[in-house]
Amino acid sequence: MSALDWWLLLAVLLFCIGGFGVLARRNTILIIMSLELMLNAVNIALVAVSQFRVGSQGAGVLFALFVITLAAAEVTVGLAIVIANYRNKRTVQADRFDEMKG
Amino acid sequence: MPGGDFHPFFFVVIAAWILVCGLGVVLFRKIVYSAVSMVFCFLGVAGAYALLNAELVAVIQILVYVGAISVVILFAIMLTEAQGNEYKLFFNRQSIFAAPLAVAAAVILTVFLVSAEVADVGETSVNLGLRQLSAILFNRYVFPFELVSLVLLAAMIGAIVLARGEGEKP
Repeated sequence: MSALDWWLLLAVLLFCIGGFGVLARRNTILIIMSLELMLNAVNIALVAVSQFRVGSQGAGVLFALFVITLAAAEVTVGLAIVIANYRNKRTVQADRFDEMKG
Repeated sequence: MPGGDFHPFFFVVIAAWILVCGLGVVLFRKIVYSAVSMVFCFLGVAGAYALLNAELVAVIQILVYVGAISVVILFAIMLTEAQGNEYKLFFNRQSIFAAPLAVAAAVILTVFLVSAEVADVGETSVNLGLRQLSAILFNRYVFPFELVSLVLLAAMIGAIVLARGEGEKP
């Protein structure tokens, strides 16, 4: 395995850890934190590929910067929604938000 | 070598740090512990960028993730969990399904990764400095750049409106 492979393997493992958090935990804030882990994993992959390939012209690095910016926007709106939900239902557990249940 | 010399020792240290802290985020039962673990995980990712010779991303990672996002998340925890919500049992029904799913995804992706044989070609790859990167950002990618600033503005206004609540004066 080449050096790039090892970096991509790290990204894969971090992505799956984050995915497990999103699927398994019930606290909505923790789900958002796990989403951040997944975004970080993608950023590692982007930067690694960009740094190891010829002719990428820094596209991966710049794309990682855009991902970081959009992750900041996403976490702001997500936590605002969590707080608005908490104000209405006094809980952050995802399985309590079941108004749409048939 | 492009992407910096590959130091196996530093890579293993950084990778172990990131993965252990990431597991901590997912597995800690108290959410404050998870948040602190997440901060350390973000620091480790910044170290990974530094190891990859991407100094700009490393600095921005520390500024945005360690500096801003962590504080926002800790504030949200303070506003919601501080009133002493009950802690659920960790091994609930979801994790019975989630754990095999995550492991299966990891195995499948790893198999693809190994079989794809991504070659790191390019002893000729130039490591772009800050000057070249900013030149590319403000020439070729200037439209996405402006669009992202618009998205940030919209997110900011949306967050204020959502978190303010009904009938409160801002």
